[in-house]
Amino acid sequence: MDAGTKLKLVYGDVTLGVSGSNFRYLFAYDRGGLESLVQNGKEWLYRVPQPAFWRATTDNDRGNGFSLKSAQWLGADLFSACTAIAVKVDGHAIELPIAPVNNQYSAIETAQSVDVQFTYTTPTVPSTTVTISYHVGADGQLVVRSRYRGVAGLPELPAFGIRLCTPTLATGFDYQGLSGETYPDRMAGGVAGTYHVAGLPVTPYMVPQECGMHMATQWLRVTRETTLNNADTDTSPFELTIRQDQSPFAFSCLPYTPSELENATHIEELPVARRTVLTIFGAVRGVGGIDSWGADVEAPYHIASDEDHEVSVIIEGPVASPRG
Amino acid sequence: MDADLTWLDDPETFRVNQVPAHSDHRGYATVAEADQQHSSLVQSLDGPWQFAFAKDPMHRPRDFYQPDTDRSTFHDIEVPGHIELAGYGQIHYINTAYPWEGKHYRRPAYAMGAEKRERGMFSTDPENTVGAYVKHFELNQTLVNHRIAIEFDGVEQAMFVWLNGQFVGYAEDSFSRSEFDLTPYIHPGDNLLAVEVFKHSTAAFLEDQDMFRFSGIFRSVRLVAKPALHVEDLTIRATVDGTLKHGHLQVETTLSALHHVTGHMRLQLLNAENESIWSQDQALARTVTVQTTVAAPRLWSHQDPYLYRLQIELFDDHDQLVEVVPYVVGFRRLVLQNRVMILNGQRLIINGVNRHEWDAHRGRAVTLADMHSDMQVFHKYHINAVRTCHYPDQVAWYTLCDRNGIYMMAENNLETHGTWQKMGVVEPSYNVPGSLPQWQAAVLDRARSNYQMFKNHPAILFWSLGNESYAGDDIAAMDRYYHDADPTRLTHYEGVCRNRAYEDRISDMESMMYDPPAAIAAYLENDPQKPFINCEYMHDMGNSLGGMASYDALIDRYPMYQGGFIWDFIDQALWCQDEVTGNQVLRYGGDFDDRHSDYEFSGDGLLFADRTPKPALQEVSYYYGRRD
Repeated sequence: MDAGTKLKLVYGDVTLGVSGSNFRYLFAYDRGGLESLVQNGKEWLYRVPQPAFWRATTDNDRGNGFSLKSAQWLGADLFSACTAIAVKVDGHAIELPIAPVNNQYSAIETAQSVDVQFTYTTPTVPSTTVTISYHVGADGQLVVRSRYRGVAGLPELPAFGIRLCTPTLATGFDYQGLSGETYPDRMAGGVAGTYHVAGLPVTPYMVPQECGMHMATQWLRVTRETTLNNADTDTSPFELTIRQDQSPFAFSCLPYTPSELENATHIEELPVARRTVLTIFGAVRGVGGIDSWGADVEAPYHIASDEDHEVSVIIEGPVASPRG
Repeated sequence: MDADLTWLDDPETFRVNQVPAHSDHRGYATVAEADQQHSSLVQSLDGPWQFAFAKDPMHRPRDFYQPDTDRSTFHDIEVPGHIELAGYGQIHYINTAYPWEGKHYRRPAYAMGAEKRERGMFSTDPENTVGAYVKHFELNQTLVNHRIAIEFDGVEQAMFVWLNGQFVGYAEDSFSRSEFDLTPYIHPGDNLLAVEVFKHSTAAFLEDQDMFRFSGIFRSVRLVAKPALHVEDLTIRATVDGTLKHGHLQVETTLSALHHVTGHMRLQLLNAENESIWSQDQALARTVTVQTTVAAPRLWSHQDPYLYRLQIELFDDHDQLVEVVPYVVGFRRLVLQNRVMILNGQRLIINGVNRHEWDAHRGRAVTLADMHSDMQVFHKYHINAVRTCHYPDQVAWYTLCDRNGIYMMAENNLETHGTWQKMGVVEPSYNVPGSLPQWQAAVLDRARSNYQMFKNHPAILFWSLGNESYAGDDIAAMDRYYHDADPTRLTHYEGVCRNRAYEDRISDMESMMYDPPAAIAAYLENDPQKPFINCEYMHDMGNSLGGMASYDALIDRYPMYQGGFIWDFIDQALWCQDEVTGNQVLRYGGDFDDRHSDYEFSGDGLLFADRTPKPALQEVSYYYGRRD
């Protein structure tokens, strides 16, 4: 096989570097996740992706006390720690290649595929685990999969997904899915199609809250024009494309984390928008609507905490067509 | 008669010297004026007035209405508008509790006993702000030598009126038109109109709507000339029989004259193509009732809001045209059949919203542009009905609903939930109006004003007795009034579910707010006696409106489930300058140091306060569109 189609691996002391044509990914053992996702010279990650458990309290959540009941998940959203890392090369598990294990490797290491799995343990009582695994193919395609392990005794989940944060603001995004802002119990009116969203609009609810969900999405392409790289003066648009794996996914693409939204009582209190917070959801709780002072979200739209949940998406490699 | 400040304290004094409520028709001097809907007999008094603010009745400028009083300290204020948004008086938002919560211990007069008159409650209230308004005017030439009335479309919450130093009258009921006869007081040349507006009176107990609490002349004011012959009142009944083929039109007019009611009247019915399909001449009398049949009338409905036009022309003994009154006519048939509401032979499905009047710059002083914009939203998103929560709206909105086929639940101005619903618990120990005789006339007057003013609008299918005011003899008397006055429409009252002792006497439909779909199904499964309407449902506060499918499913399962009105149409928030950045931002309850407050609870609209659509509207459009 042509070496050019293989991944180059760098078994560092702190990271596992995986690169190929126009991409380089760094999996950081100390940070507990994918630290760097560079395609065509542009960095896409500000910090390592994290499991997402929280949604900024909606008015209905406040009214029916859901935030109180599920408050542990806010802590989990902020403070879950990476507690295990596993690596496979060409499908075979290897001993975690940190020093001195990595002394066995050389400057010229290649593979057809690499799998890295991070396990996060929640600070809930009882605790549970979430894995985020990355499968890197030779063309730079990343299959990202997250699994939540259900345990008894925890409150229902406000959300479950993977949260990625980019170093700078996106100028907008395109997706194929449903029009507008949709939730599992409010998506009948969403019209299937391909949509462009300019900027990163925060739905201006009077009190900032969970917003911007897009259910049943086939693909998503986020566009940026700026980086934090001082040596990069190029301001032409560049893109990252995410496609469904086994089934359509839900996402929100906002300039704020749930905690930032949670803190504000008015839209003008939100901080200056600096980054793109892209969350890929494996489970979305409905918003409800019977009333705003006690009525629960209808039962089918809850997220059980004692059942497993899973989400997987494909981050396209640098040369793939977005609509491929 | 002299003005008496203690009327503020007396629930039995709510209108003094007002012209009785009547139809909202407009008189024109010529047919051409009527065609252009621009009457030379009307003179607007909107615009700048002079104004002085007082923090309470004790500090008010007492003789400001006298022509020779020094008013050099008065400032300009724009009418219509709220005093608080003009920079006087604190802005306050509160839902259920009364605005004096925690500041004054109050029980409504007579609620704790017939001897508990509570005199002084508002006339000496240290937080009852007062607005003293004056306006100079000269009559337009076209009004000179006519009898002159003045119409106040909305003044919150109690007002005294003087002209040229003479006391004219007193009015409560913030959302109904108050009309006074100025003829005895008017001068040639300059006239001095003075209006003293009090933020609170006993009307405050009846106007506890979940909204920003404002004060002032917040709707238009106009002078209206009555020519020598004038249509004072008009009642149009346009019905169709059970076959839907035979229309019947009855027109009843009450006339007044400068001298004598003599001459003749020509009535014409024109179709939408402006072709006369019926006309009749009739000698004038104080009351004239004319009837005719109309073969195969094209019926008015949401799908086809077809309007005929009635034109009444009054001629004097010299056959000179004196006044022209046009009015739209919609033939339709609303009946209860097997306990199902049937409109023009079809089961009625209400795809409705509750609509407060709101403009984020102007509060409840909404503009015609706001209304047109709202109507476009109704059309775009398949909304077919509106509940005027919880007061009568500006007249123009009813006309828009006539023209656009929007079914109206026309609610009178009444909400007293602070007297019986305390921290979410039903606790009617000092409820008004209840069965208190001292409060009955006031609420009946509100029903009467609502009916009389709007009775000729084809869009109105239901009269609503108010909102969340519990139930008692007084509410039952309102229901009886509406039924006695109007056999062509149904009544609605949400409180029917709060006190079942009155359920046979206060609403033609079962009405609940925010019942879960399963509870509605349970009602409909258990020998229901009345059709069911959600007077409020799908509380669209913030990111909400999930689960609409479950309500929609009831439509196919139960013929007696007839839809509902989403809560509500538009967020209530106000554009303000951010004290930190100077930017324009939307502010809500509590943002004005106003306490006790219900904060963001007024943000329940399908639209944001700036009239941009919330994302949930596409869901409404989907479900309502299926039933459109």
